[in-house]
Amino acid sequence: MQNENAALAIDGGDLALGAGLLALIRPALDLLEPGGVLAVNSVNQALRDDLPRWCQLQHHEYRERQKTDQDYDRHLIARGSLSVPLGERESGITLPQHEGHISAEDVLNSIPMPEHADPTSGFAPRGARVEPGGPRYPFSLLDREHVAPPEVAKLYDQAIAAQWNANTDIPWDKTPKLPDAIERALGQVFTFLAENELSALYLPSKFISRIHPSYVETAMFLSTQMADEARHIDVFLKRARAGGGGLGVSSATTSQSLLSLLELEDFTEAAFLLSVLGEGTFLDLLTFIEDHAPDEVTAEVVRRARNDEARHVHFGLVHVRHALVHDESLYSRLEAAVRRRAATLSNVGGAPEPLQDGLTVLAAGSTTAKAIGRGHDAFRELLHTMHESRVKRLEHAGFTVEQAQTLSDLHTPNFM
Amino acid sequence: MSDETILLGAVAYDAKVVTIWEGIRDHFNQNGAPMDFVLFSNYERQVELLLKGHIDVAWNTPLAHVRVQQQTDNRSISLGTRDSDQDFHSRVVVRNDSGIESIKDLEGKTLAVGSRDSTQARILPLHFLRAEGVELTKVNLLKFDTDVGKHGDTGTSEIDVLEAVADGRAQAGTVGDLIWVNEQSAGHVDANLIRSLWTTPPFDHCMFDVLPDLDAGKIERFKKALFGMTWDVPEHRRLLELEGLKVWMPPREDGYNSLRDALASPTP
Ligand SMILES: [Fe+2]
Ligand SMILES: [Fe+2]
Repeated sequence: MQNENAALAIDGGDLALGAGLLALIRPALDLLEPGGVLAVNSVNQALRDDLPRWCQLQHHEYRERQKTDQDYDRHLIARGSLSVPLGERESGITLPQHEGHISAEDVLNSIPMPEHADPTSGFAPRGARVEPGGPRYPFSLLDREHVAPPEVAKLYDQAIAAQWNANTDIPWDKTPKLPDAIERALGQVFTFLAENELSALYLPSKFISRIHPSYVETAMFLSTQMADEARHIDVFLKRARAGGGGLGVSSATTSQSLLSLLELEDFTEAAFLLSVLGEGTFLDLLTFIEDHAPDEVTAEVVRRARNDEARHVHFGLVHVRHALVHDESLYSRLEAAVRRRAATLSNVGGAPEPLQDGLTVLAAGSTTAKAIGRGHDAFRELLHTMHESRVKRLEHAGFTVEQAQTLSDLHTPNFM
Repeated sequence: MSDETILLGAVAYDAKVVTIWEGIRDHFNQNGAPMDFVLFSNYERQVELLLKGHIDVAWNTPLAHVRVQQQTDNRSISLGTRDSDQDFHSRVVVRNDSGIESIKDLEGKTLAVGSRDSTQARILPLHFLRAEGVELTKVNLLKFDTDVGKHGDTGTSEIDVLEAVADGRAQAGTVGDLIWVNEQSAGHVDANLIRSLWTTPPFDHCMFDVLPDLDAGKIERFKKALFGMTWDVPEHRRLLELEGLKVWMPPREDGYNSLRDALASPTP
């Protein structure tokens, strides 16, 4: 018996079981398959009783204690089969670097996402071996094709690189003194924007907790999106008040429209309605405000917000397009979602009136009748532009021209 | 409530006992063994009501198990036990600075011991020490009679013993090896201060007991549902972990012989 083979041996010195020896034994056993034998060499005599009992409690098999020529014990332990983690041990993965950087895209390429995910793996990071017997988590987004478009890690990398600071990156000291009517119009427009940004902050948060951690890059991207929206809320409310305009009115139309967004329960429908249609439409709105900005602070605020929104729209588009490729029935589901939402908003006529007026005055630049006439034309032109770009975006997402026309017409008059 | 329902008794030694038995009850009910439970505050009452037939099954400590056997002339039926109940040992742990090198050296020293109804922390270690020739009258016993009635289930008196040895109120102490190994494994024992000096012979711990005239169908259903619990099923595992086992085992009786002897000639 002296020579029963052990796959692995450790030198425990004189360590007692409770003096750190387990920090050698447990990782060593973890390297073995069930049945694999570990030799523990030790001069600590208390182990003669402690190790067999510990093995029994942990369901490893204590084989025997061998006397050696030297003055130490050789304990043989065969790894038990309870609680053996599932999956392959990660080995041989060294993340690639580019100019000393490691991007999320590199990580995703090295450790690809599974097609389906198991809700009993809980918060185990992708690639970890999972001890069986863990509880089932309430994750419901368990399929790669519906959760994680291939571009997600790249978009996350971009989002991280593009973060900015609403406190220090805006030239607040250049805030001018504007005529009261213009200042009030600005206050109204930014009130509307901030209100919509709030919905864009809350809606993704609903879905993060449903995403299986195997697709964590999507949750990570959404967290950048939420950080963006938080910054937009911050910066818009600051601009509304920086020159003394103060906040305007929150209209029932907006409230109704945003509730119908917040109540969405399907991740892809939400991405479609919020990002492709809503934030997509906001791109034109923000461009309009920048074009007619009465001052450079306003222009800078909406320009920066627009850059972020373009990323949100991009993610929404690739998410929906990727899902559409893998699920034919999604077209009709998305169309139905747009129709359902339109039905709940059927009593709503046009864009919220305080917003219409705010945008018109902003575009007019003054309150003379002539200028207002021009401003009104600009506003009508904006509605047209929004429709045109929506149709283009829908076609880009994979809809036919006719479908795109119909869906764009049904889109909420609240823009988001 | 139909008379199909198995009524089980357990002692509420901790709040988790409610969670454990509600979970096990649900598992039994979903697996063709209608079951309900009552909780007692001490094992003496549980044994009494088992003997009177007021409950069908008692989840007993070794002391309660042996008493049931004695009072039924060994006709009671044992149904199952935990893997962790088998080959229990007690330990004599000593301070490294105590100068105690063998159990005989305990004479003249202070030995901390657990509750008087704790098999592992008091009854059997003292029984085995006496059998080895230690004169217990010459040992100064520091007794921690906490949670009497719970038969040592709470482990409180064993933690008291380890603390007394660690802070020097006693030079040595007796504890069960389950606590000893678990406390070490959790990093709670200062190995520079305390070591295990001596290990008792093995003995067995808890057991499900029923009276000999219990309906055979109930016994069959009970065993089937009990042994149907497995570690790899998350809902089972949660309960098994709480109850401190990985596998339910069939009963065996030899492991209680030393306790029968000890009860026949009590130690201090
Ligand atoms: Fe935003
Ligand atoms: Fe956004």
